[in-house]
Amino acid sequence: MDTFLSVLFLSLSKGAIYGVVAFGLVMVWRGSGILNFAQMGQAMFTTYIASNLIINGQSYWIAAIIAIVLGGLLGATIQQLVMRPIEAMSSKSKTSDIEAIFAIVPIVATLGLLALFQSVAGMIWAGEERGFPAPVSTFGILVGEDILPFSAFDIFTIGVLAVVLVITVLFFRMTNMGLAMRAAALSPEVARLNGVRVDRVKTLGWVISGALASLAGVLVTPTANLSPNTLDLVLIIGFTAAVIGGIESLPGAILGGVIIGTLVNVISVYIDPENVFVSILIVLFLVLLVRPQGIVGTKAGRLA
Amino acid sequence: MSGLQITSLNVSHGAIQAIKGVNVSVAPGQIAAVIGSNGAGKTTLLRTISGLIAPDSGTITWQGESLLSSKPEELARRGVIHVPEGKSVIAQLTVKENLQLGGVWRNEKRQTSEAINQVIDIFPRLGERMNQKADTLSGGERQMLALGRALVAKPKLLLLDEPSLGLAPLIVEQIFRTIRELRDAFDLTVVLVEQNAVSALRIADLVVILNLGQGTTVNDPESLIDDPALRKAYLG
Repeated sequence: MDTFLSVLFLSLSKGAIYGVVAFGLVMVWRGSGILNFAQMGQAMFTTYIASNLIINGQSYWIAAIIAIVLGGLLGATIQQLVMRPIEAMSSKSKTSDIEAIFAIVPIVATLGLLALFQSVAGMIWAGEERGFPAPVSTFGILVGEDILPFSAFDIFTIGVLAVVLVITVLFFRMTNMGLAMRAAALSPEVARLNGVRVDRVKTLGWVISGALASLAGVLVTPTANLSPNTLDLVLIIGFTAAVIGGIESLPGAILGGVIIGTLVNVISVYIDPENVFVSILIVLFLVLLVRPQGIVGTKAGRLA
Repeated sequence: MSGLQITSLNVSHGAIQAIKGVNVSVAPGQIAAVIGSNGAGKTTLLRTISGLIAPDSGTITWQGESLLSSKPEELARRGVIHVPEGKSVIAQLTVKENLQLGGVWRNEKRQTSEAINQVIDIFPRLGERMNQKADTLSGGERQMLALGRALVAKPKLLLLDEPSLGLAPLIVEQIFRTIRELRDAFDLTVVLVEQNAVSALRIADLVVILNLGQGTTVNDPESLIDDPALRKAYLG
């Protein structure tokens, strides 16, 4: 198989991870109006816990499932203990110039949480990198004499995320809770007037986003390494994916993930892996400059 | 009396007092029209009943129980259904999803789809557009959708804010006729806020005239339509 096709395939496996990260960011943004920069800090923390479980003899599967559940709980905890008090304070203040400050407070709080997670992780597990096992081989698949450029783990990643995506779509399209979540994101007031307990729906958004981020954590680290800062780049790429998708749109987030995954791989293979970070920032800048509503969003939707 | 009782209600928007000591009494099964000019406090009154705004003082009871200090989502679950002006339909959702939203908290799919079929019988136009996004509907169709959604919620006390806003006169007549029919069919108590006073008076059992936050109740709406002085003063 030639390089181009393999790049395309790898792009899909990386892109799916970025898509899931972007999906989590968009979910919290639409549900609570907060960009959660701590998201991958949460994931880093739960991945460390999974890593410790594996070191102590647990299987990858058990460790991954525990990490995902903890990710959901961590999301709920942050929303309840940090974001709700901030929201309560901002709704009490009635002057409009303070309102502008309160719009920034939760975002700054997420940056603070990110720093907190990273430094606590550094204290507990030390700053050095450690490996993280994969459930299946991360080496190119052997077919006769040829080594294919993608691994069983890439196929595993794509498979897992495809299943997660289908479940998520079914949840939003087919269940009452999914409809309640969409309504609460589109119009909280109308949702409340229809008996939707918007506060609980908000918490559920943080739970799903935290669980997805932790899933991304245990899927990224086997081919990278685990350190308190490992997932920073994933967050930045995931955020760019969300912006490409228009920040409001869940399908847009997945699409943005695949686009940015392709870009990252093309640059790593054809140019230089060193250039990935700066290229992402250029893409982010250009998208915000030329098409701030993203590829899926409409201008009106962005302003509303 | 077990209908809707509002006594000495005071509501403020920041420094401005929007409702000043209003008393309203609506018996079960009645339609109360709330009329008055822009800024008279009509919408504020509805938003206070449905729990979106907390009053400064006063009481609101429905079927003998206080509605105050309950969140709007809890009041909706008790059958107090508020259809706010203009934006009560979610444009990005399909007609079907908007209707389902009325029963979303019950989490009873069969009950909800039965209620939706009932709504389609009343508004066949909605049935033809079930899978369209709500933003493709005309203004009249959106009002039908808003009313239909409220019916799926199985209301006992229905609060309607300007259901005739921006509609052609023919459709306005149709909407008002439907409101009265729905009241009769589902045994509703209705509070109807209207700019379009004459049409509202034709279906109302009593009228609350709001003027700069102060309320006057008139128990004979027809007399308002016929009285030239009152017409001039309150109906413009």
